[in-house]
Amino acid sequence: MTIVLHFTPDPENGRQVYDICARCHLPEAWGTEDGTYPQLAGQHRSVLLKQLLDIREGRRRSPLMRPFVQPRIVGGYQNLVDVVTYIAALPMNPAHGKGPWPEATPEYAQGKQVYQTNCAACHGQQGEGDDARRIPRLQGQHYAYMRRQAIDAKRGLREVDPGMSSVIIKLSDEQIALALNYVSRVEVPKQDLAPSPGWRNPDFSEVEK
Amino acid sequence: MTEQSRSSRRRFLQAAAALAAAPAVSHATHGASPEKAGQDTPPALARLLRKADLPEPKGPRVVIVGGGWSGLSMAKYLRLRNPGFDVVLIDRQPAFLSFPLSNAWLADQVNMEFLSHSFFEAANRHDYRFVQATVLGLDRTSRKVYTDAGTIAYDYLVLAPGIEYDYPQIGIEDPVVQEQLYHHFPGGFYSSSELLTIKRKIQAFRRGTFLLTVPSGDYRCSAAPYERACVMAALFRRRGIRGKILLLDMNNDITIMKDAFARAFNDLYGDIIDYQPSSLLAGMDLEKRIIETEFDEFPFDDAIIYPPIRASRLLEEAGIADPHSTQKTARTDPFRYHLVDDERVYVTGDSRSQPFSKGGHTANSEAQYVAEVIAGHALGREVEWRSPQTMCFSTVAIDPLRAMSHITYYRYDEASKDFAFDRIHSVEKWDVTGGQASIAWAEGMFRDMFYE
Ligand SMILES: Cc1cc2nc3c(=O)[nH]c(=O)nc-3n(C[C@H](O)[C@H](O)[C@H](O)COP(=O)(O)OP(=O)(O)OC[C@H]3O[C@@H](n4cnc5c(N)ncnc54)[C@H](O)[C@@H]3O)c2cc1C
Ligand code: HEC
Ligand code: HEC
Repeated sequence: MTIVLHFTPDPENGRQVYDICARCHLPEAWGTEDGTYPQLAGQHRSVLLKQLLDIREGRRRSPLMRPFVQPRIVGGYQNLVDVVTYIAALPMNPAHGKGPWPEATPEYAQGKQVYQTNCAACHGQQGEGDDARRIPRLQGQHYAYMRRQAIDAKRGLREVDPGMSSVIIKLSDEQIALALNYVSRVEVPKQDLAPSPGWRNPDFSEVEK
Repeated sequence: MTEQSRSSRRRFLQAAAALAAAPAVSHATHGASPEKAGQDTPPALARLLRKADLPEPKGPRVVIVGGGWSGLSMAKYLRLRNPGFDVVLIDRQPAFLSFPLSNAWLADQVNMEFLSHSFFEAANRHDYRFVQATVLGLDRTSRKVYTDAGTIAYDYLVLAPGIEYDYPQIGIEDPVVQEQLYHHFPGGFYSSSELLTIKRKIQAFRRGTFLLTVPSGDYRCSAAPYERACVMAALFRRRGIRGKILLLDMNNDITIMKDAFARAFNDLYGDIIDYQPSSLLAGMDLEKRIIETEFDEFPFDDAIIYPPIRASRLLEEAGIADPHSTQKTARTDPFRYHLVDDERVYVTGDSRSQPFSKGGHTANSEAQYVAEVIAGHALGREVEWRSPQTMCFSTVAIDPLRAMSHITYYRYDEASKDFAFDRIHSVEKWDVTGGQASIAWAEGMFRDMFYE
């Protein structure tokens, strides 16, 4: 997204902007294992920015979040660039939600194959995504969230890249689940992870119970 | 509301059920043809027994009782999750009025247009049917609901009728006294007339003591009674009124964001708010305007009395309330929301049996999941449990609006076999960002239920 190039990101301001987002996404931006909320931490900046703009314009349906990304609440592009810079640099959840089939199972192997044949060309061998092409990192994302998003995309409830829709409409829900099981079990590089699931974002000092 | 009308309504329901059970009920295929009623059915009642005016369903029909936060969200997400569903939403009110943000409205921080929305627009936008009617009861054997607009058959039924006040829990059994309290000192947590009355009361208040109560038990919206005390104190100050707010809390302490509200009561409104915890109500003299607690007696000049609450009586009238539950809720599967003995009937929103905090946000996030459960049932798909969240904003100061926020997630605790709070994130500072966020939140919710 070319817009990024015109702004020098200011993560300190990003933290201030994130204050309002944290009211839903929580200070760590780790999302929920049950898939209600996505993990935002560690996602590519360009992907985050595209989602914010898509939601702002109504291209991606999220009525609840939409008012929060309007300029009158979140501010202009500078603030958006700052907040995605802040989020992208947050350490990731070391215990994200994984799919139901562990490594030794035939389902895992099947999923690996479905993933490599259909998804890896865009999302990468390790599910690492691609900042330059605005392709989401799937590695470390909650399985339940990915499955809901992918199946929504298949049913036309979320608009995604036409390349991706043409692939997923040919797959059954089960095949999609298998592929996502595989990528949910790819290890996230240690340096991207928080030290423990109990880690709390020190930038937020509000009372937490 | 009152004992009297309740019992006469129940008698009336029995009459309706008996008539429905009469043999040789004709099953007309379309429109308003009356079912055969008993010999001495008064014409006024015959109207209730014919089919309501609705086109034949195009797919499995899901009937939703109650167009509040839960029912409206259910209707939308049911259509989204299974476009084959024929969805009918029933509410007895002609229009929707939001309780969330109503405290901000008391202080003119948002207007009535912001709070009120048309059921028609929601139904048109999300492609379901809205019927303005009062649901009187149901027959689970033949799968239909009785309404004052006629009977409506269902394949799935969602009951989301919300709450009612439970005056007997504070020792007020006399229906006449209940009605006096409700009409003269309404709590503002149940019907829209209460809100309008409360605003006029505040505007008319000149001096003296304004009494507010906080109920015990899992009452609707934990923060709202404390929020209301703050907003009223701010209004007294804005208008230079020398009045006191006596906040009698039936709980032993502030039930949510304790430190922050205590700070607001002391630092911000110390000269106005008199907070009294552990104030179990022992008696009330409405003529003399005196309220008694276990240990004390307080005179007051005007009051907002929020009594404990219970699930809507409709559950009882439908014969599905569990008499042993404190709030007269139904016996439902805690994960799938249907009655334990009937997978066609679901109970959601503030009338649910699970102990989640009663909030509009809870109802909305829960509905997104329950809609998937029902769609899954119809299509033979399993859906994994997801936690609802409760997000709640509390206005603490006005001019400009400043609010705190609080979000709760839940998890199922295997040890206690019950739901427990999971992560809680409280922003216990009231600031303008919080104030703007509270409005953005409500706007997002209205967009979701009505417009997008
Ligand atoms: C002052 C105040 C502030 C609040 N602030 C917040 C907040 O900040 N955040 C938050 O999340 N929540 C808040 N809440 C709580 C929120 O309003 C409720 O939790 C929410 O309304 C519950 O939704 P529901 O659909 O279960 O019930 P309701 O919204 O009460 O809807 C029930 C509907 O059913 C209809 N109905 C009942 N019986 C029948 C019948 N027999 N036939 C036909 N129709 C029937 C009623 O007319 C009603 O429209 C607040 C509440 C109050 C009072
Ligand atoms: C009212 C609650 C709420 C607030 C406030 C909020 N969000 Fe969200 N956000 C959500 C929900 C819910 C989703 C998931 C949407 C879905 O399931 O499609 C989401 C999704 C997202 C996504 C998409 C992630 C992905 O990979 O799909 C991004 C990015 C995001 N939020 C960023 C933000 C930022 C930045 C802010 C602050 C400016 C913010 N959100 C404020 C509720 C909120
Ligand atoms: C042609 C490239 C392409 C292919 C092939 C592709 N995707 Fe995607 N995918 C994308 C892009 C681009 C997005 C971001 C869409 C957007 O901007 O909203 C995306 C988004 C997603 C998301 C949502 C992520 C989020 O954080 O919200 C999931 C899940 C996903 N893809 C899974 C898959 C799976 C599984 C496959 C293989 C079956 C696949 N994709 C194949 C390009 C692709």
